[in-house]
This record gives sequence, structure tokens and C-alpha cells, in this order.
Amino acid sequence: MQNMALLPVAFEVILVTGAMLVLLVAVIADKPRKMWAPIAGVAFLASVVAGVFQWRAVAETGGGLFFSTPGLVIVRSPMVVMDGLSAFAAIVLGLVGFVAFVGSWDLVTVLGKRSAEFVALSLLAVAGLHMMTATPNLIVIFIGLETASICFYVLAGFIRGSKQSDESALKYFLLGSLSSAMFLYGIALVFGATGSLTIYGANSIRDFFSLTLITEPGILLAGLALMLAGLFFKVSAAPFHQWAPDVYQGAPSGAVALMAAGVKVAGFAVLARIFVGGFISQIDTWAPVMAVIAALSMVLGTTMALVQTDLKRLLAYSGVAHSGYLLATLVAGIDGVPPMWFYVSTYAFMIIGAFTVVSVVNGPTSSGAPIASFKGLAKRSPAMGWLLAIIMFGMSGMPFFAGFVGKVLAFVVAGEAGYLWLVVIGTLATVIGLAFYLRVVATIFSSEGDEEKLEPSRSSRFVVAICAAITVLFGIVPWPLLDVVREALPL
Amino acid sequence: MPVLAILVVLPLVGAVVVALLPKRRSELVYPIALAMSIPPLAVALYILWNFTAGYGGFQFTEEVVLAETFGIAWRMGIDGISLFMVVLTALLFPISIAASWSVTDRVKPYMVLILILETGVLGVFLALDLLVFFAFFEIVLIPMYLLISMWGSDNRAYASLKFVLFTATGSAFLLASIISLGIITGGQMGALASFDFRDMLEIQLSYGTELALFLGFGIAFAIKVPLFPFHTWLPDAHTEAPTAGSVILAGVLLKMGTYGLLRFNLTLFPEASVNLAVPLAVLGVIGIVYGAAAAIVQPDIKRLIAYSSVSHMGFIVLGIFAFTSQSLTGSVLLMISHGLTTGALFLLVGMIYERTHTRQISDYGGLAKVMPVYAGMFLFAAFASIGLPGLSGFIGEFTILIGSYLTLPVLTIIASSGVILAAIYLLWAYERVFTGPVTNSKLEGLKDLGFREIAIMAPLVILVIAIGIYPKPIFDRIEPSTAIILDRIEASTGFDLPERGLLSGVVEIEYDVELTEAGDN
Repeated sequence: MQNMALLPVAFEVILVTGAMLVLLVAVIADKPRKMWAPIAGVAFLASVVAGVFQWRAVAETGGGLFFSTPGLVIVRSPMVVMDGLSAFAAIVLGLVGFVAFVGSWDLVTVLGKRSAEFVALSLLAVAGLHMMTATPNLIVIFIGLETASICFYVLAGFIRGSKQSDESALKYFLLGSLSSAMFLYGIALVFGATGSLTIYGANSIRDFFSLTLITEPGILLAGLALMLAGLFFKVSAAPFHQWAPDVYQGAPSGAVALMAAGVKVAGFAVLARIFVGGFISQIDTWAPVMAVIAALSMVLGTTMALVQTDLKRLLAYSGVAHSGYLLATLVAGIDGVPPMWFYVSTYAFMIIGAFTVVSVVNGPTSSGAPIASFKGLAKRSPAMGWLLAIIMFGMSGMPFFAGFVGKVLAFVVAGEAGYLWLVVIGTLATVIGLAFYLRVVATIFSSEGDEEKLEPSRSSRFVVAICAAITVLFGIVPWPLLDVVREALPL
Repeated sequence: MPVLAILVVLPLVGAVVVALLPKRRSELVYPIALAMSIPPLAVALYILWNFTAGYGGFQFTEEVVLAETFGIAWRMGIDGISLFMVVLTALLFPISIAASWSVTDRVKPYMVLILILETGVLGVFLALDLLVFFAFFEIVLIPMYLLISMWGSDNRAYASLKFVLFTATGSAFLLASIISLGIITGGQMGALASFDFRDMLEIQLSYGTELALFLGFGIAFAIKVPLFPFHTWLPDAHTEAPTAGSVILAGVLLKMGTYGLLRFNLTLFPEASVNLAVPLAVLGVIGIVYGAAAAIVQPDIKRLIAYSSVSHMGFIVLGIFAFTSQSLTGSVLLMISHGLTTGALFLLVGMIYERTHTRQISDYGGLAKVMPVYAGMFLFAAFASIGLPGLSGFIGEFTILIGSYLTLPVLTIIASSGVILAAIYLLWAYERVFTGPVTNSKLEGLKDLGFREIAIMAPLVILVIAIGIYPKPIFDRIEPSTAIILDRIEASTGFDLPERGLLSGVVEIEYDVELTEAGDN
């Protein structure tokens, strides 16, 4: 009976249903947008509620594996897992989806008839992202990854007739499919080495390691390396980050916000699921690799961000650096998962807030946001200026902003795991980071620039305020969130 | 009652109140901001009044666990060293706010930032949890950066970024060191990590670790002090900052560095401190002479005072690393005195800058004829800064020199030249600006100091004289706390305190690791 329980897949069911309804209503209704907009909003919020219910169910029963099918040994593995990790991912992704949806409203209104497709794709993308995090089966992870990725390829190129948008979509598609292929190849090799596709359950990878001693793990190592490379690509960790700046710059800001935030959240949840959940016994093999990639991402991300003149590219490179800090948490194994959650869930809202401001200042469809266009933003729109400054301080890791708590926790667990050199590189990279975040802040408060007042729409005001509030709130009182993420562990 | 938490939060409350003032009533911002800076002063005076003299451990301690797994807690306490830093901070902020009446451009964010800055600085001096300390230490950068970059003079963008990057580089090492020390402490205490200062006093460190951590902490504080050769950010930042910014920067922000050296480097890493004392004292002395020499040739009066700060902070560092009771106590006293005198000098320069909009010494001459009260006030502040007997600067420098001579005689002799050089650069500047005939027609008809300006200066003047004449109550409160540091150094290293290096009447006391409430001893 439990096998047919709907709760573990409620998140996906709600969002996919929402997407279908949006498309249907868009075709048949008179004033479609007024009809489907609430549907999409409610779908996102309902998915958060589903996440909360999952969370409560996990707290009561400890979660478990679902949808095991009788039959061949390989196929009999469970397809869905509901645990702290997946439930918390549902809550975060649902909120990210909702906030990004509201934040992209300016874009939706200029898209005209195609806006329903945009929103339906967003809904499907979020469903795919969560699917990755809520399954023990490597193939299902891949399917979720592809569902989300294909949606994002389309979203990146959504502005028809914009060369940059087309270029960014094509780049994203080509490099993205390459990374998906690598990931899939990695799965195949891991399957070859361990004879299992599932992380938990009967005949699982974890069981394999506890029962078997691999003496020549060549195939396994190659598989792990390919899976890591594929996921590093998705979360844009250096040196797999080259696509990010171009895509971030070319794609419409409303789409980038969801992409940047959602993929980071799901990507790191999946890294935690596969490597901390499945390959924890091999931690001595993969943790050093992750540490090196983390250091490389921090250094490369911050130094490249220093020389950017476009805010979207700057945010892309700073995203590379943030991937570095996030990877630094995971080298600590299971102890690193709560800090990872704290960091990625607060970062997600900061980046959405930042891209929403970009969309206000440079227009929702523009490709590119020269930093010079933010001159005197505090005067043109005090709210946008101060809130963007808060978000910048948050990203830079200043104390009493959420980024600081995330970074310190990352450094503590990484240091505890013996990666002190990573801590030193991380703290130094933070200083370099300060240089470019402060450059943005100085531009915002510069006395030059356009005098023309900016009138941000109510939706973008709301989103930026929420994101800045999260940045400050969890910077000053991080304890409630810290208590929650302590439970957000993989089975 | 969590007095210290209240003290730290009060300015923040003030900032919120000011921020919520209606847009149209901008004339309310100045009086309300000023009013909001008074309660912290009142609480600081309450603490001063109820502080038990002769007891060196932490008083008014409070502890609220924040994150148990990571060993982070709101731990606050005050001892003889931090007591006067807190009082100085609480005093200088109302004065700086009062001195900002002429700020009309974006006055609300200006006042909000100053009040946030006050919370940060108070937190630095009170925190006994190293992560909380670091958070306050680092947060100070944001309001200060914005104050310089939004209200500074011409070269503000460069100066403010330089200020932030210099200090933040130090902070990076500080954070890495704090985290590794926290992990080591936690390991020896059977936890993931512990950032309790008092736990850290209990642990054993291998010498290599101790040395690395000493350097990590040391570089952050050396940049903040600033110790030669890390001082280059200071003249730029001081010169470009608005008056209130300069006063706060010189008055209390620099003290965060020397406070950190005393509180953390000397106390937590005694072995490394003893071994590195001479090189650091040498850097201090280079700072004294170099800062003073550079001050002589500055054409810009604000820059001159900034370099004089480098020189005075050198004295403090020399005193800290001389390890005698007199030198340490003198250092703390000079920290107070430097805050008062340099604050006064920056205020005075700000007052004249508002009238003439120039800081170049060559633009002035014969000002004493036009503004006699101002000239008198400036001469007083200059003498206090030079260290004229009977004023506070003398007490600080003299005790440092006496104390340091016992352990570092050669360096002390060189350092004493700093007193002479101070007389040269300040009196020569006074001569060029104030004496002789009026050289610049623009100076004619300038208004002398008004009632408000004299009222702003009065508390500083009174305190400089009071400390200069009767410093005993202050010494009585600083001495026991510095004695504990010396005891730790003597107990854990081969360092022997010279016989005369201990002020009489001090009983050996150790830090109470147990929580103590004020007045129960």
C-alpha cells in the first residue's frame, strides 16, 4: 500500500498538473493570463506545502523508499525516496520557483502570447529539478536532470530574434548535452563496476561497498570522475564553468534567476545524495578532488569576476566562486550537508534578488547589464539601490548577512575535515570577492549617472524585498534555519 | 540584566528609529540621532560606575548559546582593558554625531550608518566568543566604507576601497585562524568546535600551531593598528573621510587592533608573543619615528594628524610587546588618550575645513588673530597629543617608556625621540597656521568657534586634563587585567618579569573560567 502513496511524488504531480493547466487555459480562455497566472502561483505554493507535508512525514516516520517494482533484480530497485534531503529540497525549490516566477512577471508581460509556454516550462523545470533530488536511482536522477535542462535550454533562448539569447541557448544546449552525456556515461561505468543503479535499497551501491572489497577500482573511479564532471558542469564549478557567463548574459534575466538559483540548489542536493549518500565509503577518493575543484572555483571565480564590466557576467563568475564554497562543505561528508543547505538556500534567494534588480534596471529582455548602467541607482530608486547593496553584502560574506554564516560554517566543517588549506584559500578569495562586490555597491551609491527615476513594478519590488529580507534575517538569526537543515540529510 | 547586550543593541535601535523617521522631516534626523547616541553612553557610564576595581577577570559576563553544534554563543564580558575602550567609544560617538550638524546631503543614511558602526565597535570590545568578535570586527567595515565613499572628499573611491581591502585581507587570516583555533579548542574539549575565549585559555597548543595562529591573528591586528609597513591605508582613509569618520576611525577603530593584540595574541599565544616581541617592538618603533618624520613634511593638515596616529600607535605597540606592568597599562591608557586627543584634533580640523574648505597648511597663516578661541583649543589639543606633562598623552607615553625601558632599553631610547618629533610637527604646523600676520584674505572675517563647537570640544578637554592630573582610578582598573596577561606569559614561557616591572599592590589573579556576575567578589 505504501508503494502507492502519493505524498513522495506530490511535488512533481502538483507542478506538472499546474503546467498542463496553464497550457490548457492559455488555449481556451478569453483573457488567458488573468486565468493561468494564479494557477501557476498556486501550483508553486502548493508544491511548497507538499514539501512541508513531506518534511513532517519524514520527521514522524523517518522517510523511506517508494515505488519498488517487482521483476528483474536491476529494475526492482525503488524509484522514489522521501527523506530530509528531498523534503527540504522540495520546500526550497518550491519557494525558489515561486519567487522567481513573481520576479519574472515583468518578462512574462512583455512576452505576450508565448508567456504561458514560458511559465509552463518554468513549472516543468522545477519539477525536474526536484525529481533529481528525490530518487535513489541514478537513471531517474538523469531523467530529472534532463527534464530540467531541456526546459532551461528553451528558456535561455526564449527571446526570439535576439541574437545573444539564441547564442546563449545554443551554447547552453551544446555544452549542457555534453555534460549530460558525461554524467550518463559515468552512471554506466558505475553500474558496470558495482552492478547496481540504486543508491539505497536492495542490491544498492551502498550494500555493494559494505560487502565487497574492490581491488582494482579503475572502472569505478572513471565512473565517479565522469559523474562528478557532469554535475560540476551543471553547478558551474571551475573549470567546467565557461558556459555560465555567456548564458547568464545572453538569456533574459527572468529566466536566468530561476536557472541560476534552481540548478544550484538541485545540483548540490544531488551531489550530496550521490556522493555523501551513496559513495560515502569512497570519501577518501572523491573528497580531495572536490576540494581541489572547490579551491579552483573560488580562485578562478573571484579573479575573473574582478575584471567584468557586465553585472550579469559578474554574477555568473561570482556563482562559480559560490560553487567553490559550496563544494568546500561537501568535502566534510555528512557533516557538510547542513552547512551546504544553509548556504545554497540563502544564496538562491540572493541571486534571484540580484537578477530581478538587473531586470528592473536593464529591462526584462535585455542581454547584458553593463555595471555602468547601475550608476546612481540609489538615487534613481532608493529601494532598489539599497536592497541590491544588501544582496551584494550578503554575497560577499559580510557578517550579519546570510552569506557570512554560510561561509563560516563551510570553513568550519572543511577545517574539521582536515582541509585547512582550503579554508585559507577560501578566506582569501572572500577578500578578493569583496573588491568586486564593493565596486558594484560604490556604483550604486555613485553621485553620477542618469537622473531619471526608476519605477520598479510591484512584483519586482516584492521579490527584491523578500530576497534582501532573507539575506539579512538569516544573517542575524540563522539559528532557526540551522536547526531545520540539521535534519535535511540523505537517508 | 544583560547590560552588555543592551549596550550593544542600543545604537542599533537608534539606527532603526532614525531610519524610520518620515522623509519630509529631515530636520529631525540630527537631534534624534544625537539623542539616540546618549543611552549607550549612559549604559557605559553605568558599567564604569559598577565596575569592580582591583579585579582583573571579566565582569558583567553573559552567555546565550546560539549554535550548540558549532560551539558558537553570545558570550560577552568586560575587563579593565575593554572597559575604557567601551567608555571611549560610547563617548566619541555622540561627539562625532554632534559634530556632524552641517551634513545635509543624505543625512538620514549618514546617521544610520554611524549608529550601526557604534554597535559594531562596541561588539568588538565586548565579545568573548571569537566568531562573534570576528563578526563585529568585520561588520565595522561596511558602515565605515560607505561613510568614506559617500561623504568623503575628492579621492574617496580609492581611499575607501583601499581601507576595506587592507583590513579585509587581515580579516581573512584572522577568520582562518579563529576557525582553526576553534576546531582545536573543540577537539580538546570534546566538541566539534568551541569559540569561547575562556575555553581557549585552557588548551594546549604545539609551538608550531601557536606560531601560525599568532601570525594569523597578528597580521589582522597589525593592519588595523596600523603597524609599519601596513600603515599606507591610514593616511588616505583619514584624509578622505568626513570629520565624524576620521574621529571614529582614529579614536576607536585603530584601537580594535591594539586591543586585539592585547586580548588575543598576548593572552592566547604567550610563547609566540615572547619570541616575536622584539621584531614587533622594532616595527612599532619604526612606526613611531617614520610616522613622526612623515608627519613633519605633510602639506595637508589632516594627513599630518593621520601620520601622527601612526606614530602614537607605534608607542602603544612598543608598550604591548615590552611585557611589563607599566608598559601594558600605559599602552591601554595611551589608547584612551590618543582617542581623546586625536579625536579633538580631527574635530578641530573639521571645524576649520567647514569654514574655508581647504586643508592645506600653506593656505593658512595668522589664524590666531581671526579665531583666538580656536587657536587656543588647537594648541591645547596639540600639547595633549605631544604629551605635555599634566595632560593625558604624557601619562600614557611616560608609563610606556618607563615600562619598556626595563625590557627593551635600546628601542625605548629610540622611541623617546618620537616625543620630540611630535613637538616638531605639531608646533611647526601650529606656527604656520596660526601665528604671524594673516596671509590669506579669505581668512579675514571667519567666525570664531560658536557655543555648539565649544560644547562639543569641552568633554574632550576636560577628560584630557582630568586623566593628566589624576590617572589613578583608571590605572586601578586597567592594572589587574594586564597583570593577568603578564602572569600567563610568565607561567607558560621562560620570560621573567623584571623586578620593577610589576606595579605594587597587585595580587596574582587568574581569569575566572566560571561565569562571574559583577560585584560578587
